Amino acid sequence: MTNYHWARRPRLRIATLAGLFALATGLLAAAAPAATAATAAHRAAQTGWIRLAHLSPNTPPVDVYLYSFGGSKAMIVLHHVGYGAVSPYEKVASGDYTVAMRGAGASSTSPPVLSTSVNISPGGAYTVAGLGPAKGLRLQVMRDRLTTPKGESLVRVIQASLRNHRVTVTAGSQVLAKRLLFGHVTSYGRAAPGTWTVQVSGANGTVSQSVTLSAGTIHTLVVLDGANGLLLDNLEDAAGSTVMPQGGAATGLGGTAPVPAPSPAPWAAVIVAGLLCTGAAAVWLRRARHQARHAR
Amino acid sequence: MAAALLSSGLLFVGAGAVSIALFTGHPGITPRPVAHPGPVPTGPVVAPPRPVARVYVSRPVYLTIPAIGVRTPLVKLGLTPQRTLQVPPSTSVAGWYTGSPRPGQVGSAIIAGHIDSVLGPGVFFRLRLLRPGDRIYVRRAGGKLAVFKVYAEHMYAKDSFPTQKVYGPAPDPELRLITCGGVFDPATGSYLSNVVVYASQVR
Repeated sequence: MTNYHWARRPRLRIATLAGLFALATGLLAAAAPAATAATAAHRAAQTGWIRLAHLSPNTPPVDVYLYSFGGSKAMIVLHHVGYGAVSPYEKVASGDYTVAMRGAGASSTSPPVLSTSVNISPGGAYTVAGLGPAKGLRLQVMRDRLTTPKGESLVRVIQASLRNHRVTVTAGSQVLAKRLLFGHVTSYGRAAPGTWTVQVSGANGTVSQSVTLSAGTIHTLVVLDGANGLLLDNLEDAAGSTVMPQGGAATGLGGTAPVPAPSPAPWAAVIVAGLLCTGAAAVWLRRARHQARHAR
Repeated sequence: MAAALLSSGLLFVGAGAVSIALFTGHPGITPRPVAHPGPVPTGPVVAPPRPVARVYVSRPVYLTIPAIGVRTPLVKLGLTPQRTLQVPPSTSVAGWYTGSPRPGQVGSAIIAGHIDSVLGPGVFFRLRLLRPGDRIYVRRAGGKLAVFKVYAEHMYAKDSFPTQKVYGPAPDPELRLITCGGVFDPATGSYLSNVVVYASQVR
Protein backbone atom coordinates (compact mmCIF):
# COMPACT_ATOMS: atom_id res chain seq x y z
CA MET A 1 0.00 0.00 0.00
CA THR A 2 2.65 2.41 1.09
CA ASN A 3 4.75 1.45 -1.85
CA TYR A 4 1.87 2.09 -4.11
CA HIS A 5 1.51 5.56 -2.61
CA TRP A 6 5.20 6.26 -2.85
CA ALA A 7 5.23 5.05 -6.39
CA ARG A 8 2.24 7.12 -7.26
CA ARG A 9 3.09 10.42 -5.64
CA PRO A 10 6.27 11.15 -7.58
CA ARG A 11 4.48 10.24 -10.81
CA LEU A 12 1.72 12.65 -9.87
CA ARG A 13 4.31 15.27 -9.11
CA ILE A 14 5.97 14.75 -12.45
CA ALA A 15 2.62 14.99 -14.17
CA THR A 16 1.78 18.13 -12.22
CA LEU A 17 5.16 19.65 -12.95
CA ALA A 18 4.88 18.77 -16.61
CA GLY A 19 1.41 20.31 -16.67
CA LEU A 20 2.58 23.46 -14.93
CA PHE A 21 5.56 23.68 -17.26
CA ALA A 22 3.31 23.32 -20.31
CA LEU A 23 0.94 25.92 -18.88
CA ALA A 24 3.79 28.30 -18.09
CA THR A 25 5.43 27.98 -21.51
CA GLY A 26 2.01 28.36 -23.12
CA LEU A 27 1.38 31.51 -21.12
CA LEU A 28 4.85 32.82 -21.87
CA ALA A 29 4.43 32.12 -25.57
CA ALA A 30 1.09 33.92 -25.49
CA ALA A 31 2.39 36.78 -23.34
CA ALA A 32 5.72 37.39 -25.08
CA PRO A 33 4.42 38.89 -28.36
CA ALA A 34 1.83 40.86 -26.39
CA ALA A 35 4.55 42.17 -24.09
CA THR A 36 6.87 43.18 -26.95
CA ALA A 37 3.96 44.76 -28.80
CA ALA A 38 3.01 46.65 -25.64
CA THR A 39 6.60 47.84 -25.15
CA ALA A 40 6.87 48.93 -28.77
CA ALA A 41 3.57 50.81 -28.54
CA HIS A 42 4.67 52.25 -25.21
CA ARG A 43 7.96 53.40 -26.68
CA ALA A 44 6.22 54.92 -29.69
CA ALA A 45 3.95 56.89 -27.38
CA GLN A 46 6.94 58.23 -25.42
CA THR A 47 7.93 60.88 -27.91
CA GLY A 48 7.45 64.61 -28.12
CA TRP A 49 8.36 67.43 -30.51
CA ILE A 50 10.80 70.30 -30.31
CA ARG A 51 11.61 73.15 -32.67
CA LEU A 52 14.19 75.89 -32.40
CA ALA A 53 13.95 79.53 -33.39
CA HIS A 54 16.12 82.64 -33.59
CA LEU A 55 13.96 85.69 -32.93
CA SER A 56 16.43 88.26 -31.64
CA PRO A 57 16.75 91.04 -34.27
CA ASN A 58 20.25 92.32 -33.51
CA THR A 59 21.85 88.98 -32.63
CA PRO A 60 24.07 87.63 -35.42
CA PRO A 61 23.42 84.11 -36.80
CA VAL A 62 24.04 81.24 -34.40
CA ASP A 63 24.56 77.48 -34.38
CA VAL A 64 21.92 75.76 -32.25
CA TYR A 65 22.69 72.44 -30.55
CA LEU A 66 20.27 70.00 -28.97
CA TYR A 67 21.74 67.61 -26.38
CA SER A 68 20.10 64.86 -24.43
CA PHE A 69 20.47 66.07 -20.83
CA GLY A 70 23.97 65.31 -19.55
CA GLY A 71 25.07 64.07 -22.99
CA SER A 72 28.07 65.60 -24.74
CA LYS A 73 27.21 64.54 -28.29
CA ALA A 74 24.63 66.78 -29.96
CA MET A 75 21.54 65.01 -31.32
CA ILE A 76 20.67 67.87 -33.62
CA VAL A 77 22.80 70.78 -34.84
CA LEU A 78 21.31 73.64 -36.84
CA HIS A 79 24.01 75.68 -38.53
CA HIS A 80 23.95 79.38 -39.24
CA VAL A 81 20.48 80.08 -37.95
CA GLY A 82 19.67 83.72 -38.68
CA TYR A 83 17.10 86.10 -37.25
CA GLY A 84 13.58 85.01 -38.12
CA ALA A 85 14.44 81.35 -38.76
CA VAL A 86 12.23 78.66 -37.22
CA SER A 87 13.07 74.98 -37.64
CA PRO A 88 10.45 72.33 -38.37
CA TYR A 89 9.44 70.21 -35.39
CA GLU A 90 11.80 67.35 -34.62
CA LYS A 91 10.29 64.22 -33.10
CA VAL A 92 12.39 63.13 -30.10
CA ALA A 93 12.09 60.70 -27.19
CA SER A 94 10.52 62.36 -24.17
CA GLY A 95 12.90 63.40 -21.38
CA ASP A 96 15.30 66.18 -20.45
CA TYR A 97 17.27 68.08 -23.06
CA THR A 98 19.70 70.98 -23.19
CA VAL A 99 19.53 73.60 -25.95
CA ALA A 100 22.78 75.55 -26.47
CA MET A 101 23.55 78.46 -28.78
CA ARG A 102 27.00 79.27 -30.11
CA GLY A 103 28.09 81.92 -32.55
CA ALA A 104 27.79 80.66 -36.14
CA GLY A 105 30.91 78.64 -36.98
CA ALA A 106 32.16 78.46 -33.38
CA SER A 107 33.75 75.17 -32.32
CA SER A 108 31.28 72.66 -30.94
CA THR A 109 33.51 72.33 -27.88
CA SER A 110 33.59 76.06 -27.13
CA PRO A 111 31.46 77.27 -24.23
CA PRO A 112 27.99 78.18 -25.48
CA VAL A 113 26.80 81.78 -25.47
CA LEU A 114 23.52 80.65 -24.01
CA SER A 115 21.91 77.40 -22.93
CA THR A 116 18.72 76.22 -21.30
CA SER A 117 17.16 72.94 -20.29
CA VAL A 118 13.81 71.67 -21.49
CA ASN A 119 11.74 68.75 -20.30
CA ILE A 120 9.84 67.15 -23.15
CA SER A 121 6.82 65.29 -21.87
CA PRO A 122 5.30 62.43 -23.90
CA GLY A 123 3.11 63.84 -26.68
CA GLY A 124 4.16 67.42 -25.87
CA ALA A 125 5.42 70.02 -28.38
CA TYR A 126 7.86 72.79 -27.51
CA THR A 127 9.38 75.85 -29.15
CA VAL A 128 12.71 77.04 -27.80
CA ALA A 129 13.37 80.56 -29.09
CA GLY A 130 16.16 83.06 -28.65
CA LEU A 131 14.25 86.22 -27.69
CA GLY A 132 15.03 89.80 -26.72
CA PRO A 133 17.84 92.13 -27.75
CA ALA A 134 21.40 90.84 -28.29
CA LYS A 135 22.50 92.24 -24.95
CA GLY A 136 19.61 90.68 -23.06
CA LEU A 137 19.32 87.55 -25.21
CA ARG A 138 17.51 84.69 -23.52
CA LEU A 139 16.29 81.25 -24.55
CA GLN A 140 12.60 80.91 -23.84
CA VAL A 141 10.88 77.53 -23.68
CA MET A 142 7.27 77.62 -24.85
CA ARG A 143 4.85 74.73 -24.49
CA ASP A 144 2.88 74.53 -27.74
CA ARG A 145 -0.77 73.48 -27.68
CA LEU A 146 -1.88 70.46 -29.70
CA THR A 147 -5.65 70.57 -29.23
CA THR A 148 -8.18 73.14 -30.34
CA PRO A 149 -11.67 73.87 -29.03
CA LYS A 150 -14.23 72.20 -31.32
CA GLY A 151 -14.63 74.07 -34.60
CA GLU A 152 -12.12 76.77 -33.69
CA SER A 153 -8.53 77.79 -34.33
CA LEU A 154 -5.88 78.83 -31.79
CA VAL A 155 -3.51 81.75 -32.36
CA ARG A 156 -0.68 83.30 -30.37
CA VAL A 157 1.66 86.17 -31.18
CA ILE A 158 5.42 86.51 -30.66
CA GLN A 159 6.67 90.13 -30.70
CA ALA A 160 10.19 90.04 -32.16
CA SER A 161 10.40 93.56 -33.64
CA LEU A 162 13.04 95.70 -31.98
CA ARG A 163 12.07 98.79 -34.01
CA ASN A 164 8.62 98.72 -32.46
CA HIS A 165 8.63 98.56 -28.70
CA ARG A 166 4.99 97.52 -28.58
CA VAL A 167 2.65 96.17 -31.26
CA THR A 168 -1.07 95.53 -31.48
CA VAL A 169 -2.23 92.66 -33.67
CA THR A 170 -5.81 92.21 -34.86
CA ALA A 171 -7.57 89.69 -37.11
CA GLY A 172 -10.71 91.34 -38.41
CA SER A 173 -12.40 92.61 -35.27
CA GLN A 174 -10.60 90.10 -33.02
CA VAL A 175 -7.68 91.44 -30.99
CA LEU A 176 -4.88 88.86 -30.92
CA ALA A 177 -2.31 90.99 -29.04
CA LYS A 178 -2.73 94.37 -27.41
CA ARG A 179 0.35 96.57 -26.99
CA LEU A 180 2.55 93.50 -26.74
CA LEU A 181 6.09 94.27 -25.54
CA PHE A 182 9.19 93.38 -27.58
CA GLY A 183 10.48 89.92 -26.69
CA HIS A 184 7.14 88.77 -25.30
CA VAL A 185 4.66 86.08 -26.27
CA THR A 186 0.90 85.97 -25.80
CA SER A 187 -0.84 82.82 -24.66
CA TYR A 188 -2.96 81.04 -27.27
CA GLY A 189 -6.33 82.65 -27.91
CA ARG A 190 -9.36 81.26 -29.72
CA ALA A 191 -10.05 82.58 -33.18
CA ALA A 192 -13.06 82.06 -35.40
CA PRO A 193 -12.11 80.10 -38.53
CA GLY A 194 -11.88 82.03 -41.77
CA THR A 195 -9.57 84.12 -43.87
CA TRP A 196 -8.72 87.30 -41.99
CA THR A 197 -6.80 90.45 -42.71
CA VAL A 198 -4.27 90.46 -39.89
CA GLN A 199 -3.18 94.00 -39.03
CA VAL A 200 0.02 94.67 -37.08
CA SER A 201 0.59 98.20 -35.87
CA GLY A 202 3.44 99.68 -33.87
CA ALA A 203 4.90 103.12 -33.34
CA ASN A 204 7.26 102.75 -36.31
CA GLY A 205 5.29 100.81 -38.81
CA THR A 206 2.32 98.73 -39.79
CA VAL A 207 1.79 95.64 -41.90
CA SER A 208 -1.31 93.78 -42.95
CA GLN A 209 -1.53 90.32 -44.38
CA SER A 210 -4.23 87.83 -45.27
CA VAL A 211 -4.14 84.80 -42.97
CA THR A 212 -6.34 81.72 -43.25
CA LEU A 213 -7.23 80.12 -39.95
CA SER A 214 -8.96 76.78 -40.49
CA ALA A 215 -10.86 75.04 -37.70
CA GLY A 216 -8.62 72.50 -36.00
CA THR A 217 -5.38 74.37 -36.70
CA ILE A 218 -2.97 76.12 -34.32
CA HIS A 219 -0.91 79.12 -35.41
CA THR A 220 1.92 81.29 -34.11
CA LEU A 221 2.16 84.73 -35.72
CA VAL A 222 5.66 86.20 -35.44
CA VAL A 223 6.14 89.95 -35.78
CA LEU A 224 9.58 90.62 -37.28
CA ASP A 225 11.70 93.55 -38.40
CA GLY A 226 12.15 93.36 -42.16
CA ALA A 227 14.46 95.32 -44.42
CA ASN A 228 11.61 97.68 -45.23
CA GLY A 229 9.54 97.73 -42.09
CA LEU A 230 7.43 95.19 -40.24
CA LEU A 231 7.00 91.59 -41.39
CA LEU A 232 4.52 88.95 -40.28
CA ASP A 233 5.32 85.23 -40.31
CA ASN A 234 2.41 82.85 -40.09
CA LEU A 235 3.63 79.58 -38.55
CA GLU A 236 1.29 76.62 -38.62
CA ASP A 237 2.15 74.88 -35.35
CA ALA A 238 -0.20 71.96 -35.85
CA ALA A 239 -3.19 70.92 -37.94
CA GLY A 240 -5.92 68.32 -37.66
CA SER A 241 -9.28 67.66 -39.27
CA THR A 242 -11.49 70.75 -39.66
CA VAL A 243 -14.46 68.61 -38.65
CA MET A 244 -13.64 65.55 -36.57
CA PRO A 245 -15.65 62.49 -37.62
CA GLN A 246 -17.63 60.92 -34.81
CA GLY A 247 -16.51 57.56 -33.48
CA GLY A 248 -14.80 54.86 -35.50
CA ALA A 249 -14.97 54.03 -39.19
CA ALA A 250 -17.18 51.32 -40.75
CA THR A 251 -14.37 49.83 -42.84
CA GLY A 252 -15.22 46.15 -42.88
CA LEU A 253 -18.05 43.85 -43.96
CA GLY A 254 -16.88 40.64 -42.31
CA GLY A 255 -15.92 38.48 -45.31
CA THR A 256 -12.68 37.41 -43.64
CA ALA A 257 -13.98 37.17 -40.08
CA PRO A 258 -14.42 33.77 -38.47
CA VAL A 259 -18.02 32.51 -38.57
CA PRO A 260 -19.05 30.11 -35.79
CA ALA A 261 -20.60 26.85 -36.99
CA PRO A 262 -24.38 26.82 -36.43
CA SER A 263 -25.88 23.97 -34.38
CA PRO A 264 -26.52 20.87 -36.59
CA ALA A 265 -29.52 19.89 -34.39
CA PRO A 266 -32.32 21.18 -36.70
CA TRP A 267 -30.85 19.41 -39.72
CA ALA A 268 -30.30 16.25 -37.66
CA ALA A 269 -34.03 16.41 -36.78
CA VAL A 270 -34.82 16.68 -40.49
CA ILE A 271 -32.71 13.59 -41.17
CA VAL A 272 -34.41 11.68 -38.35
CA ALA A 273 -37.84 12.70 -39.72
CA GLY A 274 -36.71 11.54 -43.17
CA LEU A 275 -35.54 8.21 -41.79
CA LEU A 276 -38.89 7.76 -39.98
CA CYS A 277 -40.78 8.52 -43.20
CA THR A 278 -38.63 6.07 -45.17
CA GLY A 279 -39.05 3.43 -42.48
CA ALA A 280 -42.82 3.92 -42.38
CA ALA A 281 -42.96 3.69 -46.15
CA ALA A 282 -40.92 0.44 -46.09
CA VAL A 283 -43.24 -1.11 -43.48
CA TRP A 284 -46.30 -0.01 -45.49
CA LEU A 285 -44.92 -1.46 -48.72
CA ARG A 286 -44.04 -4.79 -47.09
CA ARG A 287 -47.52 -5.03 -45.51
CA ALA A 288 -49.16 -4.21 -48.85
CA ARG A 289 -47.08 -6.96 -50.58
CA HIS A 290 -47.97 -9.44 -47.77
CA GLN A 291 -51.70 -8.71 -48.18
CA ALA A 292 -51.42 -9.10 -51.94
CA ARG A 293 -49.76 -12.59 -51.54
CA HIS A 294 -52.54 -13.71 -49.14
CA ALA A 295 -55.26 -12.46 -51.48
CA ARG A 296 -53.82 -14.75 -54.20
CA MET B 1 -48.98 6.93 -51.36
CA ALA B 2 -46.19 4.71 -49.96
CA ALA B 3 -43.94 5.73 -52.81
CA ALA B 4 -44.61 9.40 -52.03
CA LEU B 5 -43.77 8.79 -48.37
CA LEU B 6 -40.60 6.94 -49.32
CA SER B 7 -39.37 9.57 -51.73
CA SER B 8 -40.15 12.48 -49.36
CA GLY B 9 -38.35 10.63 -46.55
CA LEU B 10 -35.29 10.14 -48.74
CA LEU B 11 -35.52 13.81 -49.75
CA PHE B 12 -35.52 14.85 -46.07
CA VAL B 13 -32.48 12.70 -45.31
CA GLY B 14 -30.63 14.08 -48.31
CA ALA B 15 -31.53 17.70 -47.57
CA GLY B 16 -30.51 17.34 -43.92
CA ALA B 17 -27.16 15.78 -44.78
CA VAL B 18 -26.38 18.40 -47.46
CA SER B 19 -27.31 21.23 -45.09
CA ILE B 20 -25.07 19.94 -42.32
CA ALA B 21 -22.25 19.67 -44.83
CA LEU B 22 -22.85 23.22 -46.16
CA PHE B 23 -23.59 25.34 -43.08
CA THR B 24 -20.44 24.63 -41.13
CA GLY B 25 -19.13 28.15 -40.49
CA HIS B 26 -15.50 28.89 -41.25
CA PRO B 27 -12.46 29.90 -39.23
CA GLY B 28 -11.98 33.23 -41.04
CA ILE B 29 -9.00 34.33 -43.12
CA THR B 30 -5.94 35.58 -41.26
CA PRO B 31 -3.73 38.03 -43.13
CA ARG B 32 -0.33 36.56 -43.97
CA PRO B 33 2.62 38.70 -45.05
CA VAL B 34 2.99 39.07 -48.82
CA ALA B 35 5.56 36.71 -50.33
CA HIS B 36 7.38 39.54 -52.08
CA PRO B 37 7.06 43.23 -51.22
CA GLY B 38 5.46 45.25 -54.00
CA PRO B 39 7.51 47.58 -56.19
CA VAL B 40 8.55 50.92 -54.70
CA PRO B 41 7.10 53.77 -56.75
CA THR B 42 9.54 56.06 -58.51
CA GLY B 43 9.41 59.79 -59.13
CA PRO B 44 10.42 63.08 -57.56
CA VAL B 45 10.11 62.94 -53.76
CA VAL B 46 8.98 66.05 -51.94
CA ALA B 47 10.62 67.32 -48.76
CA PRO B 48 8.43 68.04 -45.73
CA PRO B 49 7.13 71.62 -45.69
CA ARG B 50 9.13 74.37 -44.04
CA PRO B 51 7.06 75.90 -41.25
CA VAL B 52 7.38 79.46 -42.52
CA ALA B 53 6.70 78.79 -46.19
CA ARG B 54 3.13 77.63 -46.44
CA VAL B 55 3.24 76.01 -49.84
CA TYR B 56 0.34 74.65 -51.82
CA VAL B 57 0.13 70.87 -51.71
CA SER B 58 -1.89 69.15 -54.42
CA ARG B 59 -4.39 66.46 -53.52
CA PRO B 60 -3.37 62.82 -53.00
CA VAL B 61 -4.31 60.44 -55.83
CA TYR B 62 -2.52 57.13 -55.28
CA LEU B 63 -1.31 55.07 -52.31
CA THR B 64 1.46 52.44 -52.36
CA ILE B 65 2.57 50.32 -49.39
CA PRO B 66 5.15 47.83 -50.75
CA ALA B 67 5.51 45.94 -47.42
CA ILE B 68 1.91 44.68 -47.59
CA GLY B 69 1.38 44.85 -51.36
CA VAL B 70 -1.10 47.75 -51.35
CA ARG B 71 -1.54 49.71 -54.59
CA THR B 72 -4.71 51.73 -54.83
CA PRO B 73 -6.11 54.96 -56.23
CA LEU B 74 -7.37 57.34 -53.56
CA VAL B 75 -10.97 58.51 -53.69
CA LYS B 76 -12.28 61.53 -51.75
CA LEU B 77 -14.11 60.88 -48.49
CA GLY B 78 -16.41 63.22 -46.59
CA LEU B 79 -18.75 62.66 -43.68
CA THR B 80 -21.97 60.63 -43.50
CA PRO B 81 -25.24 62.31 -42.42
CA GLN B 82 -24.50 60.82 -38.96
CA ARG B 83 -21.20 62.78 -38.95
CA THR B 84 -19.10 59.61 -39.03
CA LEU B 85 -16.28 59.13 -41.51
CA GLN B 86 -17.51 58.22 -44.99
CA VAL B 87 -15.90 55.01 -46.26
CA PRO B 88 -14.91 54.18 -49.87
CA PRO B 89 -17.81 52.86 -51.98
CA SER B 90 -15.61 49.97 -53.10
CA THR B 91 -13.75 47.67 -50.71
CA SER B 92 -10.80 47.53 -53.12
CA VAL B 93 -9.86 51.23 -53.01
CA ALA B 94 -8.79 53.54 -50.18
CA GLY B 95 -9.87 57.16 -49.68
CA TRP B 96 -8.52 60.40 -48.23
CA TYR B 97 -10.74 62.39 -45.85
CA THR B 98 -11.06 65.86 -47.41
CA GLY B 99 -11.63 67.44 -43.97
CA SER B 100 -8.09 66.45 -42.95
CA PRO B 101 -4.79 68.02 -44.09
CA ARG B 102 -3.41 66.79 -47.41
CA PRO B 103 -0.66 64.16 -47.02
CA GLY B 104 2.61 66.10 -46.78
CA GLN B 105 1.01 69.19 -45.27
CA VAL B 106 1.61 69.88 -41.59
CA GLY B 107 -0.95 67.87 -39.66
CA SER B 108 -2.70 64.52 -39.47
CA ALA B 109 -3.86 63.35 -42.92
CA ILE B 110 -6.52 60.61 -42.78
CA ILE B 111 -6.73 57.69 -45.21
CA ALA B 112 -9.32 54.92 -44.72
CA GLY B 113 -9.90 51.59 -46.46
CA HIS B 114 -11.81 48.36 -45.93
CA ILE B 115 -10.31 45.28 -44.30
CA ASP B 116 -12.77 43.10 -46.23
CA SER B 117 -15.97 42.86 -48.26
CA VAL B 118 -18.71 40.32 -47.55
CA LEU B 119 -16.81 37.86 -49.73
CA GLY B 120 -13.11 38.26 -48.95
CA PRO B 121 -10.12 40.53 -48.30
CA GLY B 122 -10.32 44.29 -48.94
CA VAL B 123 -7.61 46.86 -49.76
CA PHE B 124 -6.40 47.20 -46.13
CA PHE B 125 -6.66 43.47 -45.26
CA ARG B 126 -2.98 43.36 -44.23
CA LEU B 127 -2.82 46.83 -42.64
CA ARG B 128 -2.24 45.47 -39.15
CA LEU B 129 0.89 43.66 -40.35
CA LEU B 130 2.64 47.03 -40.82
CA ARG B 131 5.51 47.58 -38.39
CA PRO B 132 7.52 50.65 -37.36
CA GLY B 133 9.94 51.54 -40.13
CA ASP B 134 7.76 50.37 -43.04
CA ARG B 135 7.43 52.95 -45.82
CA ILE B 136 4.18 54.40 -47.20
CA TYR B 137 4.12 56.33 -50.51
CA VAL B 138 1.45 58.86 -51.46
CA ARG B 139 1.47 60.19 -55.02
CA ARG B 140 -0.02 63.63 -55.52
CA ALA B 141 -1.99 64.98 -58.44
CA GLY B 142 1.19 66.69 -59.72
CA GLY B 143 3.02 63.34 -59.85
CA LYS B 144 5.29 63.97 -56.87
CA LEU B 145 5.68 61.48 -54.04
CA ALA B 146 5.41 62.10 -50.31
CA VAL B 147 7.14 59.33 -48.34
CA PHE B 148 6.09 58.34 -44.82
CA LYS B 149 7.55 55.99 -42.20
CA VAL B 150 5.35 53.96 -39.87
CA TYR B 151 6.00 54.70 -36.18
CA ALA B 152 3.07 53.08 -34.40
CA GLU B 153 0.08 50.77 -34.87
CA HIS B 154 -2.88 50.62 -32.50
CA MET B 155 -6.24 48.88 -32.22
CA TYR B 156 -9.10 50.78 -30.56
CA ALA B 157 -12.60 49.62 -29.62
CA LYS B 158 -15.06 51.65 -31.73
CA ASP B 159 -17.12 52.57 -28.67
CA SER B 160 -14.06 54.25 -27.13
CA PHE B 161 -12.39 55.57 -30.29
CA PRO B 162 -9.76 58.24 -29.43
CA THR B 163 -11.11 60.93 -31.79
CA GLN B 164 -8.77 63.66 -30.57
CA LYS B 165 -5.66 61.46 -30.85
CA VAL B 166 -6.46 60.24 -34.36
CA TYR B 167 -8.10 63.31 -35.96
CA GLY B 168 -6.67 66.04 -33.72
CA PRO B 169 -3.82 68.40 -34.64
CA ALA B 170 -0.28 67.08 -35.21
CA PRO B 171 2.77 69.37 -35.39
CA ASP B 172 4.49 67.55 -38.26
CA PRO B 173 3.26 66.04 -41.54
CA GLU B 174 1.67 62.76 -40.54
CA LEU B 175 -0.49 60.04 -42.01
CA ARG B 176 -3.08 57.97 -40.19
CA LEU B 177 -4.36 54.87 -41.99
CA ILE B 178 -7.63 53.48 -40.69
CA THR B 179 -9.34 50.12 -41.18
CA CYS B 180 -11.41 47.68 -39.14
CA GLY B 181 -10.21 44.94 -36.83
CA GLY B 182 -10.96 42.81 -33.82
CA VAL B 183 -14.15 40.84 -33.44
CA PHE B 184 -16.83 40.91 -36.16
CA ASP B 185 -20.38 41.23 -34.86
CA PRO B 186 -22.71 39.45 -37.33
CA ALA B 187 -25.75 41.03 -35.61
CA THR B 188 -24.74 44.58 -36.64
CA GLY B 189 -22.63 43.51 -39.61
CA SER B 190 -19.61 45.44 -38.40
CA TYR B 191 -16.29 44.98 -36.63
CA LEU B 192 -16.06 46.15 -33.02
CA SER B 193 -12.63 47.78 -33.36
CA ASN B 194 -10.54 49.96 -35.64
CA VAL B 195 -6.87 49.53 -36.50
CA VAL B 196 -4.96 52.81 -36.89
CA VAL B 197 -1.43 52.99 -38.34
CA TYR B 198 0.56 56.16 -37.57
CA ALA B 199 3.31 57.39 -39.91
CA SER B 200 5.34 60.58 -40.23
CA GLN B 201 6.90 62.09 -43.33
CA VAL B 202 10.50 61.12 -44.08
CA ARG B 203 12.93 64.04 -44.28
